[in-house]
Amino acid sequence: MTLSDPQAPAGKLSRPAIEIDNLNKWFGSYHALRDVSLTVGEQEIMVVCGPSGSGKSTLIRCLNHLEEYQEGRICVFGQELARDQKSDRFIHQTMGMVFQNFNLFPHLTVLQNCTLGLTWLRKKTESEARDIAMGLLERVGIEHLADRFPGQLSGGQQQRVAISRSLAMDPKIMLFDEPTSALDPEMVKEVLDVMVKLAETGMTMVCVTHEMQFARQVADRVVFMQDGEIVEVGPPEQVLLHPQWDRTREFLNHIL
Amino acid sequence: MSEQKLKHFVPTPPRLPATNEQNLLRRIQKQCFNSIGNSLLTISVLVLIYYVAKSFLDWAVFNAVWNAATRRECMDISPDGACWAGVIDWFNGLIYGRYPDEEQWRVNGGVVMGLLWLLPLMNRRIAYRNSILISWITLYPFLGAYMFLGGTFGQDVGIIHMVFTSLAAGYFILLYLNWMLCAAGQSSLPERVTPLTSKLFRRGQHMNGFLLVWAVLSILCGVALAQVNLEPVPVDRWGGLFLTLIIASFAITMSIPVGILLALGRRSKLPVIHWLSMMLIELVRAVPLITVLFMAVTLLPIFLPSGAEPDKLSQVLFAVCLFAGAYMAENIRGGLQAIPDGQYEAAQTLGLGYWLTMGLIILPQAMRLMIPNIMTSFISMLKDTTLVSIIGLFDIMLMARNISNDKNWIGLHTEPLALISILFFVMCYGMSQYSLNLEKRLKAHRS
Ligand SMILES: Nc1ncnc2c1ncn2[C@@H]1O[C@H](COP(=O)(O)OP(=O)(O)OP(=O)(O)O)[C@@H](O)[C@H]1O
Ligand SMILES: [Mg+2]
Repeated sequence: MTLSDPQAPAGKLSRPAIEIDNLNKWFGSYHALRDVSLTVGEQEIMVVCGPSGSGKSTLIRCLNHLEEYQEGRICVFGQELARDQKSDRFIHQTMGMVFQNFNLFPHLTVLQNCTLGLTWLRKKTESEARDIAMGLLERVGIEHLADRFPGQLSGGQQQRVAISRSLAMDPKIMLFDEPTSALDPEMVKEVLDVMVKLAETGMTMVCVTHEMQFARQVADRVVFMQDGEIVEVGPPEQVLLHPQWDRTREFLNHIL
Repeated sequence: MSEQKLKHFVPTPPRLPATNEQNLLRRIQKQCFNSIGNSLLTISVLVLIYYVAKSFLDWAVFNAVWNAATRRECMDISPDGACWAGVIDWFNGLIYGRYPDEEQWRVNGGVVMGLLWLLPLMNRRIAYRNSILISWITLYPFLGAYMFLGGTFGQDVGIIHMVFTSLAAGYFILLYLNWMLCAAGQSSLPERVTPLTSKLFRRGQHMNGFLLVWAVLSILCGVALAQVNLEPVPVDRWGGLFLTLIIASFAITMSIPVGILLALGRRSKLPVIHWLSMMLIELVRAVPLITVLFMAVTLLPIFLPSGAEPDKLSQVLFAVCLFAGAYMAENIRGGLQAIPDGQYEAAQTLGLGYWLTMGLIILPQAMRLMIPNIMTSFISMLKDTTLVSIIGLFDIMLMARNISNDKNWIGLHTEPLALISILFFVMCYGMSQYSLNLEKRLKAHRS
């Protein structure tokens, strides 16, 4: 069906990772998502942008079962999500999520934050979990902080811990909800570098971000949202440089 | 960018803050005598303290009588001093109630064992500290009850109690063996047995070694305990500080799990559980402890099948546990509300289910936030347990009243109460200091 998406980059959509079909969501009587349809291919990097309140977070949270939705359908690797918020094993094993304000567990050390899921859910022994977590912390460049508590780290370091924590569960898809918005400009780069490296490994990623430099560098497609609707989808050079809608251009002028 | 000549930035070297050095006298002068009014206030408070302290010490120490046979004798020696002789005479009763004299070593032994069980917790580097705490809550009561109640295995001691007592004794010994081996730098017993068990069982390497050693030690303990023959001491002979401490520590330890369950129940989305927990909490909190105690003693036997009437202590323990749990539930609920939604969401995206999220993420944080409140509840529980004397348990308060009914010590009220006040002050002050210490230590972790 949506596989024949005209704007899809060739080759990447061999198999869809996420299919969203006519998704509608209401908060009470407020219509937050309106007929959203989108397909994210395996290994695709999708950047979602749009003005505040346009429903970006809501969309990405629906994918991950953090919000319930009322109409439409979401399939992940062909498996349909239930509409209510029931915690779904398959979804949480398949997707990792990184939040704007990190949401690290403040009472656990950096290492424990990363090994928690491995020891309790994946039944790894303490030392196996430790090895995996240390490997990931090394990848994001903070292995020397493993024994600190999150409160003792800078924002950029905390966000990198959050990324390692998600990666430790070996997800197939990573969701990012404005991972750099709470950071000082100097720290934004260290987090983006990690995300670029992750993109190069072939991870499927859906990122809500306003970092247009990042979008141009790694995104396969960019989605522009407004008032709960998708206005434009396409490769970054098309959406970012030659937008077809006035609203997109206005927004881009605003943030660039 | 053009290659301009830029000024080189050199940071200013750091320096220490200007210290305003002050000696002690200076500070006192500055804080207590900095104006005429303040000086007068300081002096009058000092005078007041002097008079109160002097008259108390005169009564309690300088004019006190330590050696006398009756109250009359006390009065003859020193009419306006404390008559500690009576308290000393009854001291054993105040501590052990009517527990038989020759069996009192068992009380001491049981209490010491309970404390020793917790001792390894002081060593912060020891692994599995949680399991020690859990074993203390779940296993130690059986061992303690066996020590205090006595009886012979297979006769007065029921089969379930026998099994758990053996398990507890086995665990206790294992705990100390491991600790000693660990201190000596050797590998622990379960680790030594693991190669053997991994031959027997294919899966689950680590636990099997531990379980095997524990089982063997427990069986050995069971066999050994079956040889000893402890004189049975029925519950109604327990009393004094010993009984007070049993009730208080039961209330304190049970209030946490009961409180957690009630608090989670109250936040549950299932209506039945939600309403049940809420009604229980509100009902118990709206009623004084004395009423709950009376209800437990009079109503509980009605609900239970006839013939299965529990002894008074069990009824009291049930009531106190319910009461403490309901108060604790509200404390914990307050802590739960302070945890941001992001923590639940992060746990959910990792795939942790409800119980793991609560147990690993939410409750540890909520409990930390509530340490001051929880400790306050603990302290008031300890003090509230003295109410059980009203329904006729021979706790420390009733024993104190018994002194004044003794024909040798008729009317001796003040001294026993003074002693009890001092005892309770020491215990409660200790608890409150411990909680401050704990708070400081936990805060050190988080910037
Ligand atoms: N729990 C909620 N209850 C009611 N309304 C909500 C709730 N969450 C979001 N909304 C509304 O839904 C709309 C979309 O919110 P959303 O958080 O998805 O926006 P966003 O695009 O992520 O914005 P931002 O860039 O500021 O993060 C907003 O108008 C918001 O007010
Ligand atoms: Mg948002």
